[in-house]
Amino acid sequence: MTWRGWAVATTAAAVVAAALTLSVARWAESRYERAFAFRIATTTADYLAAVTPSPLTRRGSPPPPVTGYYLPQLLTQARALQTLPGLTSDVEVYHGTAPLVDATAPPLFPDDLERLASEGRAWRDGVALVPLKDRHNQDVVGAVAVRPRPTPRGPLPGGMGFAFPAALLAVGGAAAIAFRQRPLRRGGYAAAALLLAIAAYADVRGAARRSADRWLHDTRLLIQEAATRLPAPRSRVAIPDLVSLIRDAELVPGEPAESAPRRLRIDGKRRAVVAVLIGPGRWVELRTVPAEAYTAVWLVVLLGCAFLGPLGILALRWAERTPRRQRREAVIAWGFLSPAGLHLALFSLGPLVFALYLSLHRWGREPVEPIRPFVGLANFAAALRDPLTWTSLRNTAVYSLYVPVSIAVALAIALALRGYRRGWGARVLRAAFLLPYVSSVVAVALVWQRIYQAGSLGLGRVDWLSNPNTALLALMLLALWAHVGGQIVVFLAGLERIPEAYLDAARIDGANAWRRFWRITFPLLRPVTLFVLVTGMISAFQVFTYVYVLTRGGGGPLPQHTTDVAVSRIYQTAWGSQDFGGASALSLLFFLLMVAFTWAQLRLLGKQVEHA
Amino acid sequence: MASVTLRRLSKVFDGGIQALHHLSLDVRDGELLVLLGPSGSGKTTALRCIAGLEEPTSGDVLIGDRLVTHTPPAERDVAMVFQNHALYPHLSVRENIAFPLEMRRVGDAQIARRVVEAATRLGLEDVLDRRPAQLSEGQRQRTALGRAIVRGAQAFLLDEPLSRLDAKLRIELRAELLALHRTLGATMIYVTHDQIEAMTMGQRIAVLSEGRLRQVGTPAEVYEHPADVHVARFVGNPGMNVLQGRGRGMGEEGRVIEAGSLVIPVELSTYEGELQLGIRPEHVGLCAVNRGVGNADVLVVEPLGSETLVHLNAGGQALVARLPGFVDVRVGTRVGVKVDRRRLYLFDAAGAPLA
Repeated sequence: MTWRGWAVATTAAAVVAAALTLSVARWAESRYERAFAFRIATTTADYLAAVTPSPLTRRGSPPPPVTGYYLPQLLTQARALQTLPGLTSDVEVYHGTAPLVDATAPPLFPDDLERLASEGRAWRDGVALVPLKDRHNQDVVGAVAVRPRPTPRGPLPGGMGFAFPAALLAVGGAAAIAFRQRPLRRGGYAAAALLLAIAAYADVRGAARRSADRWLHDTRLLIQEAATRLPAPRSRVAIPDLVSLIRDAELVPGEPAESAPRRLRIDGKRRAVVAVLIGPGRWVELRTVPAEAYTAVWLVVLLGCAFLGPLGILALRWAERTPRRQRREAVIAWGFLSPAGLHLALFSLGPLVFALYLSLHRWGREPVEPIRPFVGLANFAAALRDPLTWTSLRNTAVYSLYVPVSIAVALAIALALRGYRRGWGARVLRAAFLLPYVSSVVAVALVWQRIYQAGSLGLGRVDWLSNPNTALLALMLLALWAHVGGQIVVFLAGLERIPEAYLDAARIDGANAWRRFWRITFPLLRPVTLFVLVTGMISAFQVFTYVYVLTRGGGGPLPQHTTDVAVSRIYQTAWGSQDFGGASALSLLFFLLMVAFTWAQLRLLGKQVEHA
Repeated sequence: MASVTLRRLSKVFDGGIQALHHLSLDVRDGELLVLLGPSGSGKTTALRCIAGLEEPTSGDVLIGDRLVTHTPPAERDVAMVFQNHALYPHLSVRENIAFPLEMRRVGDAQIARRVVEAATRLGLEDVLDRRPAQLSEGQRQRTALGRAIVRGAQAFLLDEPLSRLDAKLRIELRAELLALHRTLGATMIYVTHDQIEAMTMGQRIAVLSEGRLRQVGTPAEVYEHPADVHVARFVGNPGMNVLQGRGRGMGEEGRVIEAGSLVIPVELSTYEGELQLGIRPEHVGLCAVNRGVGNADVLVVEPLGSETLVHLNAGGQALVARLPGFVDVRVGTRVGVKVDRRRLYLFDAAGAPLA
């Protein structure tokens, strides 16, 4: 590639990345605008339901629908919305399919109402549609449509956001670096991408903040209006009369303040608030979660998009410098690797990162606790303070002691089977040993549950599983029985790899069977033994199914936490206590412990043995 | 040191393959006997029977006066060097050499002394603490030898110990082995398929083929007077040419053997019919067409410097000529063939020599 072609390609990569970043930012912004439109539409619907008097309150009128609204009154309230000064959106109210505010507007289609009834909301041509429900909040009797008016996207002249100028700058910078062949290439590209991502993020964050502010602003107007319009016999409006308007926010008694929304920290939580005057000298405060507090994920996404540019440029440089054949091979290799890599990233790395995120937040179950604040290392501290954590770790350690025992048993059986490789008897034996290993874990556990029950198999009157003294031992026995088969197979394969000549030589050198094993076979089997030990330990640490099936997770009443192992503790924390943050912290602690332990095993036992 | 005697030794493997047929052999005390044969001839099986790693189906093995047919290897007091040297990969050279002494519970001080002694004799002093993987192929083979000699066994069994070495190293180690044999005065049974090795090393050579012992004798005996066609073909490099022929009378000139395109006059009065004619390559010469005992086509010419091998097709029968120096013959041309009539070997159709 000529340097000019190279520069053009570089610039193209920058343009593509900038365009992608810009469109993602635009999309995020419009999402926040829609969120605002839906939210204010819902609030408006609730407002209408609150301020439209019940038809039963008027005497002498024709009999109104029992649960619906009296149309003239609904019409009055809807029209009043139009005259409400300062609303940042255009509102239309439909009774049935007929528009009330602007009579000349096109009506809804009948199936629009059905769709609203089933889906709860709809977005059409820049308009948010939410259902207007009857007084019992059951049937859809109409709809509220909100078209948010355009607002400035940023503080720059002309209401411009930061992202577009930043994109121009970034692309221009990249082009300048590429065409001028400036030395600080990679740094320059990265800086341009960073600038672009941050500017786009500023726009998205601004849109989020705006969406909260607009809702506060418009809702303030609606609450103030409602305070004067709430139907008789109300004379003095109180907070309980108004809370039906604001389902997902708080309304508390407040102090006089200016009408612009503010950000406050209340009890350690960030809130967007606005003061509302609901009567002479009577102020309330409307509080909601500031949407911009949860925009961090957009920063990650936008950084990803923006850095596609420098990544693309890196890829171009690599392609330019690499010989054709090597390039081809690399592309093919990555092609084959990519499904596995993608799978790994999505299902291993992704959850790991998410667990890390969870562990730093208080994270309960959704409807119970919608707020998930950052709590730093509090989850870890709580996990370390909890005595049950230590109990479960101790139980796990004791449980994993079955692994060395099963390795010894497996090795002994493998040595015994090795001599009879050909006979069908040996094959049957081998299959028999392997059977528990390949059987369904739950099925195996259920069979053993029966075996352990009091009085079965002549094991005495002790119910092994519900006795705190024997429950863990019972689990270890079962694990030993279930895992020995797999280990035998691995050991047999390992034994087969040891050349017979070594043993012949040892025979001639005068070594008896015992010494041949300890001096020749066992040292040469070391890599295999190590593999079995490490994988066995890891799977012992991860034990859950047996514990869950046989003793209901160990947290049950009978074995009194004596079979409470690490994974079941994590499970209990997550699904029993609904504390996902704490469970994630436990998982990560446990993960670190396992990494350290495995590393130690490999270091201590993993000296390489080369075959000459 | 002791003699090793095999009495009508037979071995049939599980699959029904008979590796040894009634093998009887006497290895004298202090002798270096070479078991020579192509691969699959049973020579390694014979060695493993002597070592005790295989149990013979029938027959006996004696070491000295002891009957050891069913004695475990550890109690036979033999030492063995394996083809792939079988050094314990996880032990150092020192530990490898010390292993047999350790297994016989020799005292530590004595082990240390004898290991150094053996290592010095084999030039391994500098690599005593290395692992086999860190050694050259020659050093590995020396270590294997060290492990064998450190104990002073009754007999040494060597199973193609040099086959993995390159040509130069092989010649070097061959000489060392011979020197070792002289100084130790040990009984050695040396298995090889390389007849040069057999000729240069063996005090006597036992030629095996298809599990049967064909001939035992000094290298000269085996070369000059092969016991049958198998031995004749196998010994020598290249081995003897064996042509399928037919003897018949031809007027006053006496008798001739017709073999392919060759018609060779012989002084043989009693034989007529199918026979096999053996000629060593060095006794075949080339001459002008129609001047010799017949004509042949040149298939391949292999100039080796000191000599040239010419592969010929004599009327459908393969014939190799070994000629001194470089020879100017072209592949694809037709040449005349001369033979040294005094150095012909005649075998009957079954391969037994004719007097």
